[in-house]
Amino acid sequence: MAMSKTTNTYNRQNWEESEFPVLCQTCLGDNPYIRMTKERFGKECKICNRPFTVFRWCPGARMRFKKTEICQTCCRLKNVCQTCLLDLEYGLPIQVRDQALRIKDDLPKSDVNKEYYIQNIDAEVAKGGDVSLPAGSVGKAAAHSDLLMKLARTSPYYKRNRPHICSFWVKGECKRGEECPYRHEKPTDPDDPLSDQNIKDRYYGVNDPVAEKLLKRAEAMPKLEPPEDRSITTLYVGNLSEKVTEIELRDNFYQYGEIRNVTLVPRQQCAFVQYTTRSAAEVAAERTFNKLILQGRRVTIKWGRSQARQTGVGRDAEGNFSELEPVPGLPGALPLPSDDMHSNYFNLQQPYSIAPSAIPPMLMPPPIAASPASFFFPSQVRPVGMQAPPPIPGFEAPLPKATPSSSASSPAALSSAPKVHYPSQDPARLGATQGVNKAKWSEMMHNEPE
Amino acid sequence: MPKVRRSKKAPPDGWELIEPTLEEIEQKMREAETEPHEGKRRVESLWPIFKIHHQKSRYIYDLYYRRKAISKELYEYCLKEKIADANLIAKWKKQGYENLCCLRCIQTRDTNFGTNCICRVPKGKLEEGRIVECVHCGCRGCSG
Repeated sequence: MAMSKTTNTYNRQNWEESEFPVLCQTCLGDNPYIRMTKERFGKECKICNRPFTVFRWCPGARMRFKKTEICQTCCRLKNVCQTCLLDLEYGLPIQVRDQALRIKDDLPKSDVNKEYYIQNIDAEVAKGGDVSLPAGSVGKAAAHSDLLMKLARTSPYYKRNRPHICSFWVKGECKRGEECPYRHEKPTDPDDPLSDQNIKDRYYGVNDPVAEKLLKRAEAMPKLEPPEDRSITTLYVGNLSEKVTEIELRDNFYQYGEIRNVTLVPRQQCAFVQYTTRSAAEVAAERTFNKLILQGRRVTIKWGRSQARQTGVGRDAEGNFSELEPVPGLPGALPLPSDDMHSNYFNLQQPYSIAPSAIPPMLMPPPIAASPASFFFPSQVRPVGMQAPPPIPGFEAPLPKATPSSSASSPAALSSAPKVHYPSQDPARLGATQGVNKAKWSEMMHNEPE
Repeated sequence: MPKVRRSKKAPPDGWELIEPTLEEIEQKMREAETEPHEGKRRVESLWPIFKIHHQKSRYIYDLYYRRKAISKELYEYCLKEKIADANLIAKWKKQGYENLCCLRCIQTRDTNFGTNCICRVPKGKLEEGRIVECVHCGCRGCSG
């Protein structure tokens, strides 16, 4: 029988050879000069049980010698350090990282399944993959996560590299005394859940007490809950410095979605940023909460309140219809054909004079006859100056009033351009921000209520 | 029983003076060889052997080179009979190796990185004030 370490013929599970270990900074230690031994097929990988190249080095004075515990294939599958099995980017346990990035990695854990899988990954990497990139689903998922950045350590934790506790000393029998390289300290409490850790559990991301502790800590971090009222799309931005301008606010917040309106209240050092869509507001809240820093101050982000109850804010552009007004583009807001065409499905000649009242409740208020331009714009004309109750119930009542009043006032307002709900609909506006011609914004906004 | 003599000739003149001490040291060695290993580390059981070996060679070296109490003939007789370790004494004659503990500690082939044993590091260079017992012979520092 061939007994030497290098015999691996007959389609045996391929033993792994490597040139250089994959390690994290903490495991390597603080000394930039390291001497490392390399032993081909020195030990079995703790996960896949294949012989692999073992690297062993001293991570610093008074540290125990560390060696690579898992093979490079296993380490690459999960993008972790070969010795400590913590993520290479964040230094966090596999379970925490997978949960934060929502990676569902189902590695087979038992016997032949595992061997087969590892063998395949090995072949894949050997064939042409870049040796330094993570393979498998972790490689594909590598997104950046703020939560992980927050949970990660900022400086290396060298306490991990300390020697183990001297078990003789614990019993009182250590004869080596001063010279003993093991730690003469109280051992950790055996009842502590952190003391039963298992390398396989830690690797597969299952039942890892350290990960659980970290996740609990993550839960306890301050979070901003979206309010139940789904129509609130405003964010309150507090702790603003005096120097923050509306332009700066827009610049910072436009990336999350289209801004409907920004109101700056300098004397209260706050601002209100309103988005056109609720989802944009939620994204903005998530991305800026506890993170955004303007003019050197970290701004507090909270949800704005429903408009009717807001205090200290001008009610100019944020009048009541911001909640109630149906948004164009939704199924309920299809533009109607012009009045006379309304029921004229077959293009017959007679105009239908009672068109307004016959409008199905779902549709918007009828287009004003006077509005020019395309079909789409007319549908956005609001019953200006009118309290607009939810369209369905109170629809019939205001309608008869609406048509005459709106048709009277709208020609004046519409003289310049078709009504715009949102800045992106403004045909005169080019590009993403309106920073250049600020006057135009307020003009547009102020025009609408009238 | 006395150490077996390989040469047929009688030992030279001063032999009777040194013989009792040598006999004592040999006796100590026999005891060290038969000690039980309980309570000791695996390597620790061998340390007395190296120590006594060093002691015996040191005795003869001292007598000849330092005190000059024995004749050249007797000295060479001891070396020939392997009572003292000639190789070890050869090292003691070199500068820096005067107190060398054993020959294993300077054998670079025995170490991972081709260096000497930790006991060869002078105490001044070994920071942190830590006590070392080298793994080969239990030496606590044989230079500096």
